[in-house]
Amino acid sequence: MLEIKNLTASINNRDILKGLNISIKPGELHAIMGPNGSGKSTLANVLSGKNGYKISGEIRYEGKDLKEMSVDKRAQKGIFLAFQYPIEIPGVNTNNFLKTSLNKVRKARGEKEIDTMSFLKLLKEKSSELGIDEKMMSRQLNLGFSGGEKKKNEILQMKILKPNFVILDETDSGLDIDALKIVANGVNSYRDKKKSFLVITHYQRLLDYIKPDFVHVLSDGKIVKSGCMELAEELEKKGYNKIK
Amino acid sequence: MTNSFQVNSKEISKIKTTSKREKDFRIKNLNFFNKNGFPNKRHEDWKFSDLREIIYKNFKKLNTKNTSVKVKKINFIKDFDHNYVAIVNGELHSSNFKFEDKNKIKIKIFKNKNFSQENESNPLICLNHALANKGYHLEIKDNYKFKKTVIIYNLFTKDLKDSILNSRNKIKVGKNSELHTIDFIINESKHKFVNNVYENVALANNAVYKNICIQKDKSQGYFHKFSKNQLLSKSKYSTFIFPSGLRFNKLDLEFNLEGKDSECNLQSASFLNKDDHQEIKTKMNHLAPNCKSYQRVKNVLSSDGKGVYQGKIYVKNIAQKTDAYQLSKAMILSDNSEFDSKPELEIYADDVKCSHGSTSGKVDEDAIHYLMTRGLDKKESTKLLINGFLNEVIEMIKSNSVKNFVKGKLKKQIYGY
Amino acid sequence: MKNENINHNQDYKYGFTTDIESIKAPKGLSEKTIRFISKIKKEPKWMLDWRLKAFNRLKFLKEPDWQKPKFPKIDYQDLYYYSAPKGMTDKPKNLNEVDPKLIETYNKLGIPLNEQKKLSGVAVDAVFDSVSVATTFKDELTKKGIIFCPISEAIQKHSDLVKKYLGSVIPISDHYFATLNSAVFTDGSFVYIPPNTRCPMELSTYFRINASETGQFERTLIIADKGSYVSYLEGCTAPMRDENQLHAANVELIALDDAEIKYSTVQNWYPGDKNGVGGIYNFVTKRGACRGKNSKISWTQVETGSAITWKYPSCILQGDNSIGEFYSIAITNNHQKADTGTKMIHLGKNTKSKIISKGISAGKADNTYRGLVDIGRKALNSRNYTQCDSLLMGNKCGAHTVPYIKNKNSSSTIEHEATTSKINEEQLFYCNQRGLDQEEAVSLIVNGFCKDVLQQLPMEFAVEAQKLVGISLEGSVG
Repeated sequence: MLEIKNLTASINNRDILKGLNISIKPGELHAIMGPNGSGKSTLANVLSGKNGYKISGEIRYEGKDLKEMSVDKRAQKGIFLAFQYPIEIPGVNTNNFLKTSLNKVRKARGEKEIDTMSFLKLLKEKSSELGIDEKMMSRQLNLGFSGGEKKKNEILQMKILKPNFVILDETDSGLDIDALKIVANGVNSYRDKKKSFLVITHYQRLLDYIKPDFVHVLSDGKIVKSGCMELAEELEKKGYNKIK
Repeated sequence: MTNSFQVNSKEISKIKTTSKREKDFRIKNLNFFNKNGFPNKRHEDWKFSDLREIIYKNFKKLNTKNTSVKVKKINFIKDFDHNYVAIVNGELHSSNFKFEDKNKIKIKIFKNKNFSQENESNPLICLNHALANKGYHLEIKDNYKFKKTVIIYNLFTKDLKDSILNSRNKIKVGKNSELHTIDFIINESKHKFVNNVYENVALANNAVYKNICIQKDKSQGYFHKFSKNQLLSKSKYSTFIFPSGLRFNKLDLEFNLEGKDSECNLQSASFLNKDDHQEIKTKMNHLAPNCKSYQRVKNVLSSDGKGVYQGKIYVKNIAQKTDAYQLSKAMILSDNSEFDSKPELEIYADDVKCSHGSTSGKVDEDAIHYLMTRGLDKKESTKLLINGFLNEVIEMIKSNSVKNFVKGKLKKQIYGY
Repeated sequence: MKNENINHNQDYKYGFTTDIESIKAPKGLSEKTIRFISKIKKEPKWMLDWRLKAFNRLKFLKEPDWQKPKFPKIDYQDLYYYSAPKGMTDKPKNLNEVDPKLIETYNKLGIPLNEQKKLSGVAVDAVFDSVSVATTFKDELTKKGIIFCPISEAIQKHSDLVKKYLGSVIPISDHYFATLNSAVFTDGSFVYIPPNTRCPMELSTYFRINASETGQFERTLIIADKGSYVSYLEGCTAPMRDENQLHAANVELIALDDAEIKYSTVQNWYPGDKNGVGGIYNFVTKRGACRGKNSKISWTQVETGSAITWKYPSCILQGDNSIGEFYSIAITNNHQKADTGTKMIHLGKNTKSKIISKGISAGKADNTYRGLVDIGRKALNSRNYTQCDSLLMGNKCGAHTVPYIKNKNSSSTIEHEATTSKINEEQLFYCNQRGLDQEEAVSLIVNGFCKDVLQQLPMEFAVEAQKLVGISLEGSVG
């Protein structure tokens, strides 16, 4: 699904990723853990195609080189980034935004546009799964949403857009335990053998609910250790300093 | 309409000129003034302050003759140690820099050497170009930080009557140097007169200049000051203006942020009462990247006082990352008073943060009610609120002794007048 | 200069011309031209006298020069002041008499005029160059006592109303372009809503400039009598020509006691091509008087077209408790220039006004908000709230805010806020990540930025306006 080889990234002449390798197969869920400033969010940004980074190395997604592809094209091809800090866009209706977005993705997949009635039905179904009040969807995009509402909204978008490859960037941050469970259940119910996940997190907490197949430790722009769930537990006990 | 306040060109012959160029420059500007007269509200810059009408109403004639500069005694401020410069009727009288290294400071009578200036459209600036024959030039050399504040005593003597004074001042602060000044205006004349000042402040790289301007008493003066200020790279300019108490006062302040990373901070608090008319006009020109400007102008208007604020922020296309803010607030206490404002933005760069706000309105009735339930009468409550409203600006002054001094003066304006 | 358009502006889909024979007034501005117009419109003598009075005043006036957009000198003698499709001098009694080419033109513009296809819930007066071509739903309106007809017809049939109100808000010689309009205005709409009547549908005028070298000088007069309500819409387009064409309209609104007028404009005149060649000079005077107590006038405008837009729809709040509102979106791209805003003159007690202005500037365009809020001595307990936001795209364009604010009593409050910024990169990234391309993302974010204004528009126009916002900015990002 995703093949990253010797990836480096710098911004404003500051090197952040310094030769990163990772390989994710369909159906796998990989967790990336690391201390603040290790390059976790940069990895998420680079994979989604955000401007401003100077990158080298190889990123192949479903066999194709991603580097020249724009952000929206990647999204249309099924790469979804759940933001650490979902952006507020005043005046833009959440509902409307999501419908526009879904139709772009459907069009890229060669499906026909969804009509308003079917969309609202889909939205209703998916929001109730996540315990989202439908009224939230008629509010302005992320504006005045609580931390939990924003994160739930990201997961809802994931479930509606149906991506193949999902990046969760610190989705657990700012969530209380109830919201965390709902978000985790949302992710778990979406897992199957065709879809892959990259879960970026600082704490083990999230991984208690979303079981990873692999855990990698990112430090100073490189993966310094890889393993299974046990590695996450070890990290939680010993802290990042001990692992290197 | 012909200008009935024409100045005879013979006046220019009386001024000691150094060259023919200077004389021609003065004559050219005098002709402009004589042709156009005092500006009226048809000039965009004078829309809210019709000076022509004000002058015609209050003066029959104006004389440009030099006045005596003899003063018996200057009442120096005793609240804190300071250096001083004394200006009498616009003329440099004396100075004392006893707390400083005198090698770093130059002070002399101002001589205008720059005649190649572009054509001015403000007749008052032209009049100043034509007739200015006094003022001071203060220069601080590189790498010198003042130990104490300099108070610039601006005295106006009793014998001023129907006079129009034209003076020019210039302050230059060298690289990495720092100067703090207080303009303190003492007016002994009981008669009406006009004071027309042209001022230049130039800050070299990394220079810091802080200024406070305050009136001692209410007076019969009609003041106009045009001030053109240059800020080079990383320099900082801050000015606090407490200008109440004049019959007419227009401060026309232009700041050119020419160097990267320069900063300008302008704050003002005024209590405008009977017969007061005051306008603050600013032009903040962001000409280089990464500069900051902040403006806050607060007015309380009582009786038939009139306050005007015209503030413009201009951002050139290369001045990316500009951070410019402007706020004017007015509290109107009487149905005969008036507050006008024109907060203007002219922006040609996209990566900027520019905003302004302007509010005017009545005193907060709920706050008055609250204070009255605590036993204060209505007048006391109002005064307390006015004080609080204006004090917000004063609280920004860092030095405690200066802050208390200014607070005392402002209180007098609110309670005394 | 007189060639048909040679520059192709792909984005302007209304740029076609209709090939139709027309009758024109003699070229140039003169008493003769005015007499010609008055005669062809079969006007009563008082109307001709009124026009001539304006013409005489015009001789002493100069074009204003204080506005930010400067324009080359207009040769007023090189213009036609009247142009009408042949056979239209007498207004056709029904659509069968109208040249099919004209009906086709309006079909192409999305304004079907025939009975079967006409827009439901919207009565349309279609003005083509200097004449009104057709007015729909007339009978239904007449039953309610509502008058909705071309102003030339009103001058003949409702002359007492016209006489009483024409020029009562915009004086005959207000400024150069308003006076010019008073002298040579050709057609436009007249609306009268009788007391205690709520107009059952939207009234709409669709203006189309077709002929070349012709100025359009329409005049609109809307009177809402006591306790009545009307919502009125105005739309405009013009062919692409590489000459600049002058459009100098006057619009007067009068709201009596407890009446409300809602006036919406979607202005999409030809803006000129990417190099700034051609386009309409849109110099319009719009003014409303809240003459009665508790009356309300609300202006909403979406200004996306024209080479130069220069207008200040204003409210004179005379009646106690009256309300004035101004909601504006002005989008300028390429070489377009807009200088627009409002005047809120508070004269009565407890009057309120609200101004929401959104300016968007891209390409090499200049966009200015200019406005006056004046609360008079006697306008006790009045309030104004103003918010002006500007968005800049690139650093070759300009965004300017020039508010004049006057408060003259101690019980009134004025609040004014303005901001200038660019489109937030993070917002763009977020939209891109959800599969929207750059232009869609910009359109979405800008529409969000404009929401407070867009939601003021009647439903039928809001959708169209949203699309227009996106189209106007095409090619501005990248």
